Amino acid sequence: MTLGSLLLAGANWITVIAGKLWHRGSTAERDIGAASALEQAGTLLFRYPTDADPCIAVRTPEGKLVAYSQVCTHLSCAVVYDRTENALACPCHRGVFNIDQGSPVTGPPTRPLPRIKIEQRGNRLFATELEV
Amino acid sequence: MSVRSQGTTLFSAILILVGTTVVVQLWLLTVSTEALLSGQTRILIPAAAGSSLLLLINASLLRYVYRFDRDVEKE
Repeated sequence: MTLGSLLLAGANWITVIAGKLWHRGSTAERDIGAASALEQAGTLLFRYPTDADPCIAVRTPEGKLVAYSQVCTHLSCAVVYDRTENALACPCHRGVFNIDQGSPVTGPPTRPLPRIKIEQRGNRLFATELEV
Repeated sequence: MSVRSQGTTLFSAILILVGTTVVVQLWLLTVSTEALLSGQTRILIPAAAGSSLLLLINASLLRYVYRFDRDVEKE
């Protein structure tokens, strides 16, 4: 049992190392596109912190700029902005996320979408931090 | 009560303690894995530290059992 305990403690430290490797560079700044493109379409798709992480930036009807990971926290389908509901919706299992906090409102998701901090400098938008 | 029967009671208590700590470690690993998958990396280090502390407790109890057994055999 003590050997099992040693293995469990080791496995716990492996999760720490995996966490460090997985989220390495999550605070690196990245140019995600032109602000004018977002203003025209209302949404902007980009990748952050790596090219394998799809995200969505939305200009809400109140004028607020928010950005979230596009990966649904239920089964990883891509969420899209639903203008009529003013929410992020997952088309796979009809999950809906609140646009202000990214928290799940209805459907199967139970965890909020990771949020991305966005800064506007002139006409350029920069993703600066991944908040989880 | 003889030292040997005292030892049996003691070992039973230690076995329960060790079993409990291993279950807690299993729970910590489950929580850590779930946190890792949801990207909440802040709790990973405290969980690993807690698991290591439980390992230390387990190892100390095992050492105690060996020493107790050795002393009984000497007597």
